[in-house]
Amino acid sequence: MTVKKEGNHMFFFKESKKKIVKNQQEQQLNRNQQQPNFLSADLDQNLQKLQQIYQNCMDIVFRQFKIGGKTKAALIYIDGLANIEEIDASVLDPLMKENNDAQPIPVNYILEERLTVSKVEKVQTVTECIEHISGGNPVLLIDQQSEGFALGLANWEKRSIEEPVGESVIRGPREGFTESLGTNLSLLRRKVRSPQLKTKSMKIGEYTQTEVVITYIEGIAEQTLIREVEARLRRIKIDGILETDYIEELIEDNPYSPFPQVLNTERPDIVVAGLLEGRVAILQDGTPFALVVPVSFYSLLQTGEDYYERFLISTVTRWLRYLFLLVSLLLPSLYVAILTFHQEMLPTTLLISIAASREQIPFPALVEVLMMEVVFEALREAGLRLPKQAGSAVSIVGALVIGQAAVQAGLASTPLIMVVALTGIASFTIPRYAAGFALRMLRFPMILLAGTLGLLGIMFGLLMILTHMATLRSFGVPYLSPLAPIQGREMKDVLLRAPLWKFNTRPSLTGTDNLRRQGPDQKPDPDYGNGKTSRGKGGL
Amino acid sequence: MMEKGKISTAQMGIMMYPTIIATAILIVPAITARHAKQDMWLSPFWASLIGFLIVYIAIQLHQLYPQKTLIEYSEEILGKFLGKVVGLVFLFFYLHTSGIIIREYGEFVVGNFLLHTPLVFVMGSMILVCSFAVRSGVEVIARLAEIIVPVVIILILANIALLIPDMEVENIFPIMGKGIMPSLRGAIIPQGWFAEFLLIAFLLPYVADHHKGKKWGMISVTTVMLTLSFINIAVLFVLGGITSRFIYPAFSAVRYISIADFLEHIEAVVMSLWVAGVFVKIAVFYYALVLGTAQWLNLSDYRLIVFPIGFLLLLFAVWSASDLVELTHFLGHTSPFYRISIQLGIPLILLFVAKWRKRASHQKVTQQG
Repeated sequence: MTVKKEGNHMFFFKESKKKIVKNQQEQQLNRNQQQPNFLSADLDQNLQKLQQIYQNCMDIVFRQFKIGGKTKAALIYIDGLANIEEIDASVLDPLMKENNDAQPIPVNYILEERLTVSKVEKVQTVTECIEHISGGNPVLLIDQQSEGFALGLANWEKRSIEEPVGESVIRGPREGFTESLGTNLSLLRRKVRSPQLKTKSMKIGEYTQTEVVITYIEGIAEQTLIREVEARLRRIKIDGILETDYIEELIEDNPYSPFPQVLNTERPDIVVAGLLEGRVAILQDGTPFALVVPVSFYSLLQTGEDYYERFLISTVTRWLRYLFLLVSLLLPSLYVAILTFHQEMLPTTLLISIAASREQIPFPALVEVLMMEVVFEALREAGLRLPKQAGSAVSIVGALVIGQAAVQAGLASTPLIMVVALTGIASFTIPRYAAGFALRMLRFPMILLAGTLGLLGIMFGLLMILTHMATLRSFGVPYLSPLAPIQGREMKDVLLRAPLWKFNTRPSLTGTDNLRRQGPDQKPDPDYGNGKTSRGKGGL
Repeated sequence: MMEKGKISTAQMGIMMYPTIIATAILIVPAITARHAKQDMWLSPFWASLIGFLIVYIAIQLHQLYPQKTLIEYSEEILGKFLGKVVGLVFLFFYLHTSGIIIREYGEFVVGNFLLHTPLVFVMGSMILVCSFAVRSGVEVIARLAEIIVPVVIILILANIALLIPDMEVENIFPIMGKGIMPSLRGAIIPQGWFAEFLLIAFLLPYVADHHKGKKWGMISVTTVMLTLSFINIAVLFVLGGITSRFIYPAFSAVRYISIADFLEHIEAVVMSLWVAGVFVKIAVFYYALVLGTAQWLNLSDYRLIVFPIGFLLLLFAVWSASDLVELTHFLGHTSPFYRISIQLGIPLILLFVAKWRKRASHQKVTQQG
């Protein structure tokens, strides 16, 4: 017993020592960050400080001038990030032509009567100055003033709002996010005008200082979820983030899984739909992809368009998608299993024609399938990176490689070409690229299992995949919900796409705080309003 | 608590369904038919009485010791030493039974579908797949059951529906032509399967809404009973008097399915979906065994022993019988008494002792007070 105790003690000591070192490091870090570096009243001193910081930065501009020919002042900005015409017209012009004789010039006077800029923020420390300058806002420093003015004149080259390439729709809004965070937030705000739409900002990346915004609708999203997302984001200590995938990989519940546990989208309407279900979105400056958490597997199989079409059409499309999900995962392995182990399952005529076309093939079915599937994947990958000019050439060659030429050369049989082509198409019916990719990847182990144990092997593979998916969680929400654990009420959005007037409640796992989505009697009723209806009045 | 997951009673009920059905549709219909003849569809009703009784006992024990599993409270009821002995008996029983289940599955697959694949490989790969589920805990097994059970039920119903053209209803007559006895004798074997409901004693401590335990336990027994009865009726209608001559009558019946010269020879599909049901069955047994062993050994985590016990299971599966004939003989003759004595007898004793102890301590308290 004593030994055990001692061991415990030692362990505790070690732990605490580690903690102390860690605390010291953290304190040092905090000191570096938090030490206030106030601007002084002396303009030259301030300029010297900033010039030292921006040493060897040729894109920074220090424009020194005199207000009304007397008071020294300086405007600091980064060339290309600020709107120069605006600076000339609304800052330099009125200030340089100033003729107030007061010494020193009162700050309020400049703010209220001279600067014709709508967004002005006072800055007091050098750190704040740098933040604004790097963000594109010119900073105006005036002699004898210990505060500067950050002018909201940031303006840089942006891509215009376009339809997202990866998520096009036939019916639905055609706007997509751009690389500019401000534009993206404005797109969201245009859809949700309620002030309950909250946007919390933070900076991630020691060097990139990338702005990341958590957005949610207060009163719908659960507080615990918001806190969890914030905590996971604050944990990130990294030199820089260039895409939301960096965030995705750093906040996932299970980083080893092939399945995406975070939804990424370029479409504002999908983000808003998520927000209305009590989810939280993460937007990042510099990428058009927003993240939505938490998600379940079935929500990766939905598109926004499911809700923009008539519900019967959407239900049928959904079932088609589920079917092709299975096809993309299982078809090649079923081909292998049936040809290798269970030939009796095929109708005789089909069996004979397959056997006839396989007569010339020197490989067993397993090798044949693996070979052609790998070739298909390679063609797909190459197709992504091809320059447009070379594209048509490669697609012709590709059609030959997986096609008639392969059959004539005796490398693959005709039914197999069908299988490979169908599988390839099937995986693209899954709306989320990452989810589709996970399934495409998993079909290779499935082929191997089918080659060794037939249908039994396929079943083993499926059970392993299901077991893995049943263990997964996305921000606490079971990945397979509402199928497992069963949430009967939500099946209307999985097995069907129920008519919109049936969606009276939000998903219970994300929207518990505010479960009611709409009034109870939303079913259209032609008699409503002329007194014939027996139903009560609708409305929230 | 060793297991942090929580399941609902409905999930527990759903888990138990394939846990009984999966192997009960293999050899059992043949053995039942041997004893009960055309009354074989009645036998599941009698057999299910044992199921109801055991669910009742398990719930009673659970109410006395709400946070504990069978292995834990037998120690509390019988004292340290006797309790450990009883725990060991249970663990050995579950090890042996799981071994037999795996062997049944292996014999079936190798005998009918993968004629050239080594039995050990077929059984070992199943144990491996199950061990991943067991490692993930009771929540995951429950979720898997929720996905698999609807598939199994649809499979059974679809097969029965597809067999309708081959059915001859006269096969059922005369009903109880020789009285009630044949169907009662036919129930002796299936009741061994219904006795497996004792497994809920391992699941109940991890159920979030205890008070519904009885309800869902009973629903589960009832659905199992109805399913088995339906299968027996279907088999009887299709195969008639020769049912008992088949080893696996239900699967032999499936071979009769032939619709429009296209939908035929679907045994392989049926087999692979049935394997999903067996997967749940083995996973539940395996989980109870691993959890019980960890509690018996006072371990802090059961995940450590999942793979070692998996290996042991494979050995027991190999050792449990030398061939299918011996296995069938064991299942048809010795096993019902073996199963009933451990899964009904010991819990019954435990319940009596626990009740008696409770009363004794209660009297003591009132005397002192």
